[in-house]
Amino acid sequence: MLEAILSGADQLFTFTTLLTMLVGVTVGVIAAAIPGFTITMAIVLTLPLTFTMPPLQGVATMLAVYIGGYTGGMISAALLGIPGTPSAVATTFDAFPMARNGEPGRALAIGIWASFFGTLISTLVLIAAAPPLALIAVKLGAWEYFSLVIFALTIVASLVGRSMVRGLMAGMLGLLIATVGADPLMGVTRFTFDLKVLSAGIPFLVVLIGIYAVSQLLKEVENPDQVQKGRELITGRIEFHPFAALREVLMNPINLLRSSMVGVFIGAVPGAGGSIANLLAYDQAKRGSRHPEEFGKGSSEGVIASESGNSATSGGGLIPMIALGIPGSAVDAVLMAALMVHGIGVGPRLIMDHADTVYGMFMAMFVAGAMMLVVCLLSMRLFLKVTSIPKSVIVPVVLTCCLVGAFTLNNRVTDIYLLLGIGIVGYIMTKLDYPLAPLVLGVILGPIAETNLRRALMTNEDWTLFFTRPISAVLLGLAVISIVLAIRYHLRQNRLQSGEG
Amino acid sequence: MSDATRNARSLDDRAHLDAKRAKAWGHIIFNALLALLFAFMFVRAGDLPSSMWEPMGAGTFPRIVLALLVVFNLMIIIKELPDIKQTSALSQGAVGDWLKQHRLAFGVLILFGLMTAAVPIVGFRWASLPFLIGCQYLLGARSAKALIIAVVIAVALSFGLESLFRHVFTISLPRGMWG
Repeated sequence: MLEAILSGADQLFTFTTLLTMLVGVTVGVIAAAIPGFTITMAIVLTLPLTFTMPPLQGVATMLAVYIGGYTGGMISAALLGIPGTPSAVATTFDAFPMARNGEPGRALAIGIWASFFGTLISTLVLIAAAPPLALIAVKLGAWEYFSLVIFALTIVASLVGRSMVRGLMAGMLGLLIATVGADPLMGVTRFTFDLKVLSAGIPFLVVLIGIYAVSQLLKEVENPDQVQKGRELITGRIEFHPFAALREVLMNPINLLRSSMVGVFIGAVPGAGGSIANLLAYDQAKRGSRHPEEFGKGSSEGVIASESGNSATSGGGLIPMIALGIPGSAVDAVLMAALMVHGIGVGPRLIMDHADTVYGMFMAMFVAGAMMLVVCLLSMRLFLKVTSIPKSVIVPVVLTCCLVGAFTLNNRVTDIYLLLGIGIVGYIMTKLDYPLAPLVLGVILGPIAETNLRRALMTNEDWTLFFTRPISAVLLGLAVISIVLAIRYHLRQNRLQSGEG
Repeated sequence: MSDATRNARSLDDRAHLDAKRAKAWGHIIFNALLALLFAFMFVRAGDLPSSMWEPMGAGTFPRIVLALLVVFNLMIIIKELPDIKQTSALSQGAVGDWLKQHRLAFGVLILFGLMTAAVPIVGFRWASLPFLIGCQYLLGARSAKALIIAVVIAVALSFGLESLFRHVFTISLPRGMWG
């Protein structure tokens, strides 16, 4: 283990890796500060740039973008009242009023420190939880793995969106997309309809870029009245007192710890990410506060809860990815893809076969967290300028980067046609309120589900083993429970809505 | 309540009902088309070869997924039918208003489609340059200063990205007929 840690450190603490990480943190902060530019988009667009890097450098750079992004979303949330990313929604509740009350510097500094501690706590939990979980996971058979994928998909479908059926449909559509191209066991070509564009299958990352970037950008320009320059609502000098803010954050240890743990837990659940964690952490902080009446009016407790909650999902999301090979979110799926591009198989054996890379990733989380802190505290005033970049610039620039990203994955022109097609499908699905996260996770989980299902039945043709092997039965039971609970929740919501009507 | 307030509220209600009905139709049409496509694929998947080494052939897993998808499509269609029954026909001009509201999104999509089609023919640089200028113009860069900035951004990105990938990452973006 010590050897792996030293090897990881040796790869991580090189000038070029630290430099690309620093650039990554800065890019993440800037990108997420722009309303409409999500962290997922930033990560997806970073991926092609990491192809030529060694594996750990590539992943560490992407982790840096990820961690920088969670903090960047706070800038526009605090100063414009517009969350830069969905994970900063709850930050607007208190950081914006605090900024409007003449304390924008305090709002930003508290948010930065809370983000830093959220990242730190989640990384510690990741280090403690991932290796033992991976040791258990290597003992799982094909039956358990198939059931795990089913459980992950039902959880995602029931957590996101307003309709579970639509969530399940999106997840199944993802599984179907994954079946296009060569069959994973026999190599038979499926559903290509003799079209050149489909002959190599539909690459997961093209789906991800099309769904998360292209369709979201089209949604951004839907309202002609809103496609205008962002307005700076906070004017005048911004005073920073970082150490006073640090003291203020540390004076709320229970709130900080609770919000971070909420973030870690939510991050570890497939499909749920920062967008849910910040709201849940905020809600818990309000319930546990001695001054709940101050929430929504510029409470520092609210800013701490939201920012530590969303940043802590970064470490939480890596737990299932490193231990089980199941990504917790779209961003984790891209990180997983980055490892796969470099020929590193992701699954429970990752920590055993590539311990140096995994320990390097753990260290990269700490380093990126520290870089984010330094970069944000020193250059916050410069970052404020990016919140006013108009959409007329962002949308075409990002679309062009999407096209380049899709092409460079495999150097195939056909992939850019697929990107356009998937972007249109994603846009239609967004307009009809279909959640997109289950689709993306379905695409990445599809080959895992199919391979394990077929392997299980090759080993033993008895179907009942899925229900009689204890872990598999528990996972399938949990899948059923998640569906039942989601149906109950939706029925209750419908009843409440009709009652209000 | 004044007449103006009442009128505004009734207009809002009307727009809400129109949106509800349009969305219900959208779901029904989208899912009906998908159900037909999935049914066709289900039949095609039956022709995929099986293996003597495993009980499931290449087509079994896709067929399970396709069957479930058709079930979900039908469930969504059934769920949306009451919304069609509860709402009256779309008000006059609703479709036109919707298209007008989404004109920028469609405009950007058309420009993006044109760039995608042009990349293999004229190469990345000459496909992205007009896209970047045209798209910025469409989205509001109309003043002389904004147009100059738009041109600078377009040139920097189209030529800069091509050069960055070629020289730094040794990945060649499509160069088209001038390649």
